[in-house]
Amino acid sequence: MIFKMKSDPLTTTFAALADPTRRAILVRLASGEATVMELAAPFAISQPAISRHLKVLERAGLISRGRDAQRRPCRLKAGPLLEAADWAQHYARAWEERLDHLGAVLQELQDKATQPTVRRESRHGRDK
Amino acid sequence: MDVTSKPGRSRVTTPSDREIRTERTFDAPRDLVWRAFTEPELLARWWGRGNPLVVERLEVERGGHWRFVEHAPHGTYGFEGRFREVTPPESLVMTFEWDGMPGYVLVNTIGLEDLGDGRTRVVSTSLFHTTEERNGMLSGGMEEGLNQSYAALDQLLDTID
Repeated sequence: MIFKMKSDPLTTTFAALADPTRRAILVRLASGEATVMELAAPFAISQPAISRHLKVLERAGLISRGRDAQRRPCRLKAGPLLEAADWAQHYARAWEERLDHLGAVLQELQDKATQPTVRRESRHGRDK
Repeated sequence: MDVTSKPGRSRVTTPSDREIRTERTFDAPRDLVWRAFTEPELLARWWGRGNPLVVERLEVERGGHWRFVEHAPHGTYGFEGRFREVTPPESLVMTFEWDGMPGYVLVNTIGLEDLGDGRTRVVSTSLFHTTEERNGMLSGGMEEGLNQSYAALDQLLDTID
């Protein structure tokens, strides 16, 4: 059906954050860029395993990789993290926006009720 | 605690760790506000926040089904639920579910208070099943890592700022 949703960015962000190794990698990158080798050093896992984690983080938009083919240093990207932190307010903000529009509709309905003649005249011709 | 508060507009609070409450006063009589919540053609004019909204169902009665589809510039978002309580013109209690997070249901209570001077206070309270859902309405399998994720997130955000 038409309402099939793609996985939303927030879910991807949280899925990436759900793993302790990946969180540790992000915390490390928060203090500056690092290569795969540097990132792998403190962990008791292989470099390819670290690379797989980096791929997940990259897909979630949480890190970017440098172009230098040799080093490909990783950098933290703050955008999705800030969005994720913001989620608690997202739902509330949606309500805020709805209420803004509700206010406008209520105003319009009352204008129509109190000034029927004026409204009709001013809109004369356009409604037809 | 106040989460966001824009002067002269609404007051958003989190009365408990599972709730989000939004309150705003409108310069309109309660009957009119009630109609704006319960008549499809009126509701379609505001619920979509400026985006076109298709009201597919709006059965305003206990057990009645509602389903709205918002057509935003970057995607289509379906929302639905059922009415638990309908008390005209004072309150509506309904379940609320987003297609993007199927199975995660919150309960939304809309209270309309007649302030007696032609104004109406609208109070929307959303009760989430768990704190985790309030904080993210996350899909399955991630609940475990969630609190740690938030701790990590806080830590990271501190570093970034």
